[in-house]
Amino acid sequence: MEVLTTGTKAVVTRTANRRSEGPVRAPRQGGVRRAVWVGAFLAPAVALVAALLVVPFAVTAYRSLFDDNGITARFVGLANYRSLLTDPDFGRSLLNTVMWVVGTLVLPVLLGLLLAVLTHSVRWGAVARTAVVIPYALSGSATALLWTYLLKSDGAVNQTLSAVGLGGWQQDWLLHWPLNTVVMIVATTWQSTGAALLLFLIGLQTIPAETIEAARIDGAQGLQMFLKVIVPQLRPMTVVVVGMSIVNSLKTFDIVWLLTQGGPGTASETLALTMYRQTFTLNRYGYGAAVSVVLTAVVVAASWLYLRRQVQPQRGGAA
Amino acid sequence: MGLIDLSRTTSRRALLASSFAGAAGLALSSCARGTLSRPAPADVLSLFSDNPSWNSGFQDAGRQLSRLSGYRLAPQGVPNVSNYQQIVRMSAQTDSTADLIKWWNGYRLRDVARAGILADVTAAWDEADRRGWCRDPALRASFTSDGRQYGVPLYKSYYAVFYSKPLFARLGVDVPTTWQEFLHIVDTAHARHITPIAAGGATSWESSIWFQQLVNGLDHDFYLDLTAGKRSYTDVPCRQAMEVWSDLYRRGAFSSPDVSVSDLPGRFTQGRTAMCLYGTWNTGALLDAGLKNADLGAFLLPPPPGGNRSVVVESGVLAVSANAHKRQAAEATARAWLDPSVQRAWTGFLRDTSADPSVVPDVGAVREVVAQVQKEHVPQAVRYWEASPPVLIEGNVQDLSAFMIDPTPSQAAKTVASMQRRAEKEWKAWKS
Repeated sequence: MEVLTTGTKAVVTRTANRRSEGPVRAPRQGGVRRAVWVGAFLAPAVALVAALLVVPFAVTAYRSLFDDNGITARFVGLANYRSLLTDPDFGRSLLNTVMWVVGTLVLPVLLGLLLAVLTHSVRWGAVARTAVVIPYALSGSATALLWTYLLKSDGAVNQTLSAVGLGGWQQDWLLHWPLNTVVMIVATTWQSTGAALLLFLIGLQTIPAETIEAARIDGAQGLQMFLKVIVPQLRPMTVVVVGMSIVNSLKTFDIVWLLTQGGPGTASETLALTMYRQTFTLNRYGYGAAVSVVLTAVVVAASWLYLRRQVQPQRGGAA
Repeated sequence: MGLIDLSRTTSRRALLASSFAGAAGLALSSCARGTLSRPAPADVLSLFSDNPSWNSGFQDAGRQLSRLSGYRLAPQGVPNVSNYQQIVRMSAQTDSTADLIKWWNGYRLRDVARAGILADVTAAWDEADRRGWCRDPALRASFTSDGRQYGVPLYKSYYAVFYSKPLFARLGVDVPTTWQEFLHIVDTAHARHITPIAAGGATSWESSIWFQQLVNGLDHDFYLDLTAGKRSYTDVPCRQAMEVWSDLYRRGAFSSPDVSVSDLPGRFTQGRTAMCLYGTWNTGALLDAGLKNADLGAFLLPPPPGGNRSVVVESGVLAVSANAHKRQAAEATARAWLDPSVQRAWTGFLRDTSADPSVVPDVGAVREVVAQVQKEHVPQAVRYWEASPPVLIEGNVQDLSAFMIDPTPSQAAKTVASMQRRAEKEWKAWKS
């Protein structure tokens, strides 16, 4: 929202400057001083991004060109990337990552939206919202520990099923693919729906009461009101929630590591786990670096494509 | 909105200045040199291990060591094995390293020894041999790289079947001496709805436990050749071992593969599980978790039909860093490590066996295993985890984990084929 507003202002300012360039010319000295000030304010942010993101990425990309065991390194060019393409484990890891992206887009975002709308203006809504938001306050490792006790073969879920006479429904929840990936997505949904719910609630509060009232006078209600009025009004917030979900799902690590360690075998590995295993378990620093370069490229490409499509300057509004 | 009136308490400039000072202080402190970049105090040697719970044991051993070498130990533990390995690999190349390092033997030791980060401690083995503390050529070979030794044995564990004595009494069975007797116990427990054997490994190295046991039990020499890269995983003894393993699953011998060894004391106490094949290094943890010494027994698994009696052993490594601040003192400590007085203090804490066969802790289960090993002169083989190049082992362990989820003959065939493909690739990489 803020970005749009600033962008719009910038467009207006640029247009205004262009129009006024001819007759009134700003003094050169003032322009330099302004540039110095702008540079001074930008410098800390640029330095931080360069030191914490750009330089490490460049070092990682450079390291991916070596066969490196942490003690000795040998230049191998693009051999690590060629190995990736022929590695069946990498293919499975990529597929799991796609499952995570789809799963965490569909479940937490839709559930968060539905729960926000349903509990927004009802009497006991606050109680329901609190129940959904509390898991969001738990750490990833606490959540994983809890779900481990639930989903182990002799865990609470199977014991409960057995106790109520549904023993036939018992499963090895974490031992078979794709079931293990699906239940881990469900566990993540349990934890992260609260965040989506909060953001959508904020979005709901920004919808002008007049808009809802006008729609109601025009005869809109129920599902029609939700789909034709509320959802379009929530678009800016949906952009944020979906964008965050995409990035978070692409770098899924903690819950998978703690529940299955990417196993059995490498069945439930995501790209982030493959990177960790290659680097820190197998001590193949070059290969792990290659996986992280691919992962970074995927995250940046997905974020850029999504935001480029969704966040556009409101040219009409500025005119 | 009640804004805070900064002028009354502190000026904005002062606030900004103190914020910058705080940030600068934090930045500078992050650049400070760590404690390992300086030598430890006078009579102290720093020791790095991946097990913080061993710290008090190292201190006990250090008190004995200080009488012999003049130096005691200051252990530092990093609880995560992966993190620990990274720290050692990186720090051992710098001046910010501990004097003594805990590591693993076999190919894991060779992996770092050939990179030059460990000191040669062949003299310590020579002295142990001369004094009769440890004359074990097979164990010594697993500490060797290019004919020199790069660590002394921290302990020597045997892989044995732990069992619940009260449960065996309730089932009316005794310690088995043959494979048939062992199967009888499995069937008896299964018929009484008791899990015969707890065997985890769905997502951990523990999937290699039954593989190494069955291959080594069926053909000890083949196991040695297989792990040395001289035989194939698709050869008969290996396929036979997978068949036996698969057959045990068909009989209902094993727990679900996501069982954790930390659940074992509870399972034994509640009578839910009868046995568990594991390293004797876990004895202390089992006793600390509430199992009574008198209720815990252990025996060597009888070999399957056609096999021979042999046992898998595991040994941790106490190594000297090549860049140690007090290298001479660390080497002297390594020479004194196998002295019986040090070993008694150390194994008394660990409740596991020493590389010195005369030092045995006062724990029933461990004494039973040692007595059996000494009486029957059982041949020994290095644990699978350390017996081949690490990358090969890590990959194969994952294949074995996948097999435990689907322990069918067809999956067994796929598993050994995959292990062999990896073996061909990784042995080539290791030798290059």
